[in-house]
Amino acid sequence: MSRIGVFICHCGINIAGTVDVERVAEEIGQHPQVAYATTYSYMCSDPGQQLVRESIAEYDLDGVVVAACSPAMHEATFRRAVAAAGLNPYRCEIANIREQCSWVHEHEPGRATQKAVETTRTCVEKVAWDEALEPFHLSVIKRALVIGGGIAGMQAALDVANAGFPVVLVEREGRLGGKMAALSGTYLNFSAAPGLLERKVEQVLDHPHIEVLAGAQVTEVEGYVGNFAVRVSALADPLEVGAIVVATGWDPYPLSRLPEYGGSELADVVDGLTFEGMLQEGRAGLGRPSDGRTPREVVFIQCAGSRDPERGVPYCSKVCCMVVAKQAIMFKEYVPEGQAYVFYIDIRSAGKGYDEYVQRAMEDHDILYLRGKVSKVFRGRDQVIVWGVDTLSGQPVEVAADLVVLATPMLPSRQAVTLGQTLRAAVDQSGFFSEAHPKLRPVESLTAGVFLAGVAQGPKDIPETVSQASGAAAKVLQMFSQEVLIQEPTVACVIEQFCSACGACVEACPYGARAIHPLWHIATVNAALCQSCGACVTACPNKACQIHNWTPKQILTMADVLVGV
Amino acid sequence: MNYRALIIGAGISGMQAALDIANSGYEVLLVEKEPAIGGHMAQLSETFPTLDCSQCILTPRMVEVGQHPNIHLLTLSEVVDVQGEMGAFRVRILRHPRYVIEEKCTACGDCVATCPVVVPNEFDRGLAARRAIYIPSPQAVPAVYCLDPEACLGLFPLACGKCADACQIQAIDYDMRPETIEVEVGAIVVATGYELYQDEAVMAYAYMSHPDVMDGLEFERLLSASGPTGGQVIRPSDRTVPREVVFIQCGGSRNPEHGLPYCSKICCMYTAKHAILYKHRVPEGQVYVFYIDIRAGGKGYEEFVARAIEEDDTVYIRGRVSRVFPKDGKLMVWGVDTLTNSKVEITADLVVVAAAIVPSPDSRRIAELLGIDVDEFGFYTAADAEMTPVESGKPGVFLAGVGLGPQDIPETVAQASGAAAKVLSAFAAAKAEERARRALELEPEIQNEAVVQ
Repeated sequence: MSRIGVFICHCGINIAGTVDVERVAEEIGQHPQVAYATTYSYMCSDPGQQLVRESIAEYDLDGVVVAACSPAMHEATFRRAVAAAGLNPYRCEIANIREQCSWVHEHEPGRATQKAVETTRTCVEKVAWDEALEPFHLSVIKRALVIGGGIAGMQAALDVANAGFPVVLVEREGRLGGKMAALSGTYLNFSAAPGLLERKVEQVLDHPHIEVLAGAQVTEVEGYVGNFAVRVSALADPLEVGAIVVATGWDPYPLSRLPEYGGSELADVVDGLTFEGMLQEGRAGLGRPSDGRTPREVVFIQCAGSRDPERGVPYCSKVCCMVVAKQAIMFKEYVPEGQAYVFYIDIRSAGKGYDEYVQRAMEDHDILYLRGKVSKVFRGRDQVIVWGVDTLSGQPVEVAADLVVLATPMLPSRQAVTLGQTLRAAVDQSGFFSEAHPKLRPVESLTAGVFLAGVAQGPKDIPETVSQASGAAAKVLQMFSQEVLIQEPTVACVIEQFCSACGACVEACPYGARAIHPLWHIATVNAALCQSCGACVTACPNKACQIHNWTPKQILTMADVLVGV
Repeated sequence: MNYRALIIGAGISGMQAALDIANSGYEVLLVEKEPAIGGHMAQLSETFPTLDCSQCILTPRMVEVGQHPNIHLLTLSEVVDVQGEMGAFRVRILRHPRYVIEEKCTACGDCVATCPVVVPNEFDRGLAARRAIYIPSPQAVPAVYCLDPEACLGLFPLACGKCADACQIQAIDYDMRPETIEVEVGAIVVATGYELYQDEAVMAYAYMSHPDVMDGLEFERLLSASGPTGGQVIRPSDRTVPREVVFIQCGGSRNPEHGLPYCSKICCMYTAKHAILYKHRVPEGQVYVFYIDIRAGGKGYEEFVARAIEEDDTVYIRGRVSRVFPKDGKLMVWGVDTLTNSKVEITADLVVVAAAIVPSPDSRRIAELLGIDVDEFGFYTAADAEMTPVESGKPGVFLAGVGLGPQDIPETVAQASGAAAKVLSAFAAAKAEERARRALELEPEIQNEAVVQ
């Protein structure tokens, strides 16, 4: 039999204005496991916490329920308070009688009071079965692995290394720089891309804390946050690292998937990346692939594959509107007598100075923007004929072009899906790595210790990539500032007598936390990997899997209270 | 090196930078001019593209900031002077009086019941009222009341005093005075955020002064379950449910002649969100959106706009609105559909204007104090927008959030962590240097000992 103390908070009038807190105390006080029940105006205040601490000693309590606001507000506060009084903090639970009771049932005080009693009683039942737990302490290997040596990976590596921590940078190509190396210029800083990038590459190569493994790939990842063992193709021994930054970037869309635009059929239809290469050589490089002649009429087709759920990819590749504006301006600078046409659906120049930039392309460089889709691109006499429609005038448009540049989608790196499996980090249906929360945790993956930077997470331009890569580095630095990582102990466990080693839990676990012990032939839990999702609990046919302090016994007892059994 | 960081602004970007630095074991001074933290995100109803409730994801973060042992939160405070350099900035902070003792106040609300003064509530964008003594929102952090000295019947000499009488724990102190404190910090993150454009001359065409014409943040409050209407969409003038709602994008944005030349970046997405949320609440209603380009560049954004159009029957009209004016209890919206080249006339019950994003009115003053640059609009400029997007150019001063230019929440959060990384790198490098120097200093002693021996 437990000796549980129940502490009911008035929260001023927030709770007590609706819920009859004295009645809650009286009713809950009759519960056989409750040794003491009382109320106080503000339980979270210092005197309130004092009351909890003193009562633990005075009434020899072995469990505490605080009926107050949401556990998101003060669970940590009260667990600290009971720990200070010598009670195991995992034997303290919060009954939410504010957000989920008084605030939402303001006009029904009688029933709100009844609900408060029942909510509190469920927590009493839970505490009665709560185990005294201790949090896990994990060591941290203070070395980071960055996968991908493009601008994102290099930036993340530099930020971590500048703080004095060793970094291993693995790049599948033989050189650093990624796709940015193929650019003629960035849109804010024309023609400066190679220069800007070279300086970054030098910084990375010269950095005493960065080890670059070019021409190498990650093949296997074992372990968990703070303690990964990574096999890299170039190394004989596994690499031990504490954190991993995924910065695998993107790959171009195959032109062959765009037959309606003459992709891979017509020599003078090229993709944006190829055109960047041509621009790198200035006017001399602009000779068209078929005959080397300098093109005069150039048509740029935006969303060539993007925003096309039927045939291409459903998403917007985000950077193309600005890239095309830049390419058209550069083309006009090298070939002033030329004419550039841009077919677009929406001009997405959202970014600092971007809208003004596109305005300049139109006004100062006479680039003709046509709002509409291109229906067909086909071979003419010595030229490429582009058929489209101008949706603003409602007129069909025909342009005889010397060169057609397709703004094709950014595809996630070819290695992303396999790497995602290796890292046990989720990728979305398009193949981009999924962030832990789309708003508030944009640089963390769902796997602890694995962080995301750059286009690997979704299309984005250089400034956004660089900021985000530094953001990923911040998460690594935060982790490395700890001597040990503290892990909640409310993870899955196995009742060994019931386990038949069928492996259902291993299959059900999305985090790779479950395995069958080769020797003992029972299921095991890697507590560092377990995220307490409960998938194994429902999968286990023998009911051998449980979550500590969320056992079926506890949940069913709590449910019994609510249905009035 | 002083291993303490100052963060100016406690919206989502300032909070994120503070948490990243504080979680790494360094002290953070978080300065906010308002009485509570959370910035504009706290006012939002839901967030795109997942329609997560903004309060639900933000409140735990605010509590984390409020309770963090390494974060010292200074609300109702302004930075008024900055001297020195990276590693040793000397900062003067003006603390405005709250007239409520933070450590004592339990947010019971007894004071509010007695206050005779009623003024518009800023948090609800004036759609609801508050008293002179108030808490900005029920979830405010710190969860402490404050007294608005402008609205109060009179503090010097005291004209009313009812709130202090009602306060049983005597948390109200009318004798509080402004106070200036001086602190030393090693690095600074500027995260002063934004306001919505309110240039009367420009916004007049949209009839912004009419109660049924509102900006995006007002509509957020109208949609919010914790807002003045409990999440019911009713129009302010006569409290009826609007059946026809017109959204006007680029309210002041992308308008070099009569407004601002730049794009405010987030409006396309929040307008699509508004359209969807409105339809969830008023299924029989009809939404029209006037736009120039639909800018849905971001993960899941394109699909989100498609959902507004396909599932919620939002009518997107490509074109500008020329005039909005009241007629017979409704609002006439005159515009043009540039795709059909025809005039469009809509009789609307409610008009929502996506007003341009402008930097916090403080940005120029802060920039001057810190010796960093702003552009012609007052947004901070990075040393190199592409390669060093969070560095101000002045060593030790870093930038985050919409103060740099319009951007959405995930971008802001990632960038704020980026700014935090720069602070963490600088602190860690200085620590390493100190260790090396100490080692060098010890060396002669060791040599001397050797000599003595």
